[in-house]
Amino acid sequence: MSAARGSSRGRAAARLLRRRLIQAVPLLLGVVVINFVLIQLAPGSFLDLMTAENQVSDPATIELLRKTYGLEDPVWMQLLKYIWALLHLNFGFSYRQNMPVMQAIWINLPATLLLMVSSIVLAFAVGVAAGVVASVKVRTFWDTLVSIAAMFFFAAPSFWLGIMMIVLFAVKLGWMPVGGMETIGGAGGGIASVLDILHHLIMPTLALGLFYAATYARVMRSSMLEVAQADFVRTARAKGLSRTKVTLSHVLRNALLPVVTILGVQMGTVLAGSVVIESVFSWPGVGSLLFDSVSSRNYPVVLGIMVLGSLVVIAANIAVDLVYMWLDPRIEIR
Amino acid sequence: MTKVTRRTFGAGAVATGLVGIGLQPSMAQGTPKRGGTLVATWGGGEPQACYVPAGGGSSPTFSSSKIFERLARRDMDGSFKGVLAESWTPAADFKSYTVKIRKGVKFHDGKDMTADDVVYSISEIWKKYAAASALSDFASAEAPDAETVLVKFNNPTPEFFFASLLCGNVSYIVPKHVYAGSDPVTNPANNAPIGTGPWKFKEWVRGSNIEFAKNETYWQTGLPYMDRLIIRYVRDPSGRAAAMESGEIQIGVFNPVSPPDIKRLTATGKFVATSKGYEESVWSTTLECNMRNPVFAKAEVRQAMFFAVDRNLIAKTVFYGYARPGTSPIYSPNTAFFTKDTFSTQFDPKKAAALLDAAGFPKKADGKRFSLNLLAAGWFPENGKIGSYIKQALEDVGIAVNLTVPDRPSSLKLIYTDYAYDLAISNTSNPSEPVPSTTQYYTSDGIRKGVPFCNATGFHTDEVDALVAKIKVETDPAKRKDMVVEFQKIICIAEPILPLVELESITLASTKVQNHSNDPNYLAASWGDIWLAS
Repeated sequence: MSAARGSSRGRAAARLLRRRLIQAVPLLLGVVVINFVLIQLAPGSFLDLMTAENQVSDPATIELLRKTYGLEDPVWMQLLKYIWALLHLNFGFSYRQNMPVMQAIWINLPATLLLMVSSIVLAFAVGVAAGVVASVKVRTFWDTLVSIAAMFFFAAPSFWLGIMMIVLFAVKLGWMPVGGMETIGGAGGGIASVLDILHHLIMPTLALGLFYAATYARVMRSSMLEVAQADFVRTARAKGLSRTKVTLSHVLRNALLPVVTILGVQMGTVLAGSVVIESVFSWPGVGSLLFDSVSSRNYPVVLGIMVLGSLVVIAANIAVDLVYMWLDPRIEIR
Repeated sequence: MTKVTRRTFGAGAVATGLVGIGLQPSMAQGTPKRGGTLVATWGGGEPQACYVPAGGGSSPTFSSSKIFERLARRDMDGSFKGVLAESWTPAADFKSYTVKIRKGVKFHDGKDMTADDVVYSISEIWKKYAAASALSDFASAEAPDAETVLVKFNNPTPEFFFASLLCGNVSYIVPKHVYAGSDPVTNPANNAPIGTGPWKFKEWVRGSNIEFAKNETYWQTGLPYMDRLIIRYVRDPSGRAAAMESGEIQIGVFNPVSPPDIKRLTATGKFVATSKGYEESVWSTTLECNMRNPVFAKAEVRQAMFFAVDRNLIAKTVFYGYARPGTSPIYSPNTAFFTKDTFSTQFDPKKAAALLDAAGFPKKADGKRFSLNLLAAGWFPENGKIGSYIKQALEDVGIAVNLTVPDRPSSLKLIYTDYAYDLAISNTSNPSEPVPSTTQYYTSDGIRKGVPFCNATGFHTDEVDALVAKIKVETDPAKRKDMVVEFQKIICIAEPILPLVELESITLASTKVQNHSNDPNYLAASWGDIWLAS
């Protein structure tokens, strides 16, 4: 019976995955088209910047560059060519880094993924734990403490938080490095390098993750209080289950659903937030690359990062849907 | 001309006001200490490539100048010194120069640097990329023997011009065996260059730093003093201040931190700030009149713009005193050509109003004479602040102003391609040699649509064109200087471009850092003789 139920859930998950992947195709196409058009609307081009920086004064050379970068085509043709190249996993060439776009992104991607994952893990762990404590100890000192902390971290801009942490923990106390991802020149390799990166990761993770932790704590608290009033919780208590057992096995699991929803939706904003945090902490990630690319009109890289960001958000939301099914088997996502 | 890339700035070397803000000259103290690592930064971002053949702005110049070397350099006293060239001698007609190349110099890959490398660099890199405008009269470069290069020109070429060419920002000698047969702009070696300088490229951690190792076989025996040099890129000035305060970075050039942070950090006694080292790379903020607008046809209107603007106020408020009013298209630290003896406008709104009345632009019923589009180029944040002030100042004399502050790529297009402005706040940085870097802003051959940092105003007169043509070929230094003085006088009366302020760039360094700021273009110097005290 249990094996049959498990097999049925597996098939449902596979169906969901297939459906979401098919839906992702027009979504991605929309992202590419919208971003491409928006970028075309911005005044100035990377060719202007390139000729400025390289003092190109020969009209023939400028024309040659226009052809080299496909800028002599009408916009719709450039878009079609870009989509065709994307289908062949060709994201174009970045003149600024003098390398393919994928390579430029790939160099910076691990740093951003590390920052994003650590921030999300921190936000989820701290937010859920704080929300549980606040709901279990509702209208007590602990509830008030969590509410005030959540309000503070929700209201404090992450860049300000980052700068304040640098001033206190790096400049005044000297406990933390000011920025960067690792000690320049290397920390010695092996485990020492891992610890060195973790040391550099602490402040950016806190600056980026605490805002989301505050959001999750508020949502988790109200969700826990709401679920605690449900009939099945009253039934569980009536059956004599301990308060801890009821809270962890029944209330917590069901209260997690809205938090998981927000988590999926906020993946894109975490990536956007990393642009700011990477600048504050000189974190060598995709955010820094995006910032530079926008200000230098390096369109191929901007588009590449947008497409990549969309893929991350789509993947996160598919994962959220699958987690939904695991958390509450009654849910059938269409 | 140096391209605009950095965000914050200043420049020059006047003593006025430096005492009050704790600026001190750098000095070498005691016996140089060998070994150790120096971490440096600058007031801008990461370069697009470690070396850009055409220059590419201050950031790639900062990194590439540690690896490559030039044939000559300028000393702090203004004299020219040989680096990879032992000497250069003009022919009697000044149409050719014989350059003697230093022997025993090796590239970082162990190959000898020869006259062939010099010929290749001049013919293929300088002529096409690094100094294309300056080398318009270049005819050929030949190597009669392994240690001699003969550089020929189509016209007589002044000695000062030629020596300045050898010292050019990116007039590097590159290895022919690495670049020949390739596109120099996209050559992969640009991201891991091989030069002859005191520092060898070691590693570039994108988004973080470039690391250089000591060149053990450097031709200047005993240099560099240090084992390792690291250029670290921190986007935010406050982040740089924090990194310097915590000891992670020891020296920052080209305004690494904000003016209040300069004062705060020097007050601790752990840092020194100096404006030395920028005499050959002075930056100026200019107000450019688009002569295509008929309003500017009369010189009185252009002069009125400038009588209406208080340049001292800009220097004091926008730049916290790290600037001084400009008076000429040639910058005041340029001892070779600058003259004070020019027509100068002082802040006088009443005179500005009188000039506008006389020019046929009286106030109308609504109190306005005419309206202008003022574009503040967004590559430096200070330009927007200056724009806000100039808008108010011009409105005080009855000129309606529509101010826009586009970002860098948009500003480049609007000013130099579309000419879509009436007044533009822009920036220039020129070396001491005025041809063509300074003169091209005022000559008809400088009007090149789509080419940045040349004549965008459209101003040109036969008189100026003829004078510049003479300056270009005059080989008598005294006569040439007289001509350049004459050029400044003509331009200051015509005033198509007002030099608003000359900026003071600042180097901030830990007191442990010794022997820095000892080159008039220190950002682009080799840094082989810098060292850290215990």
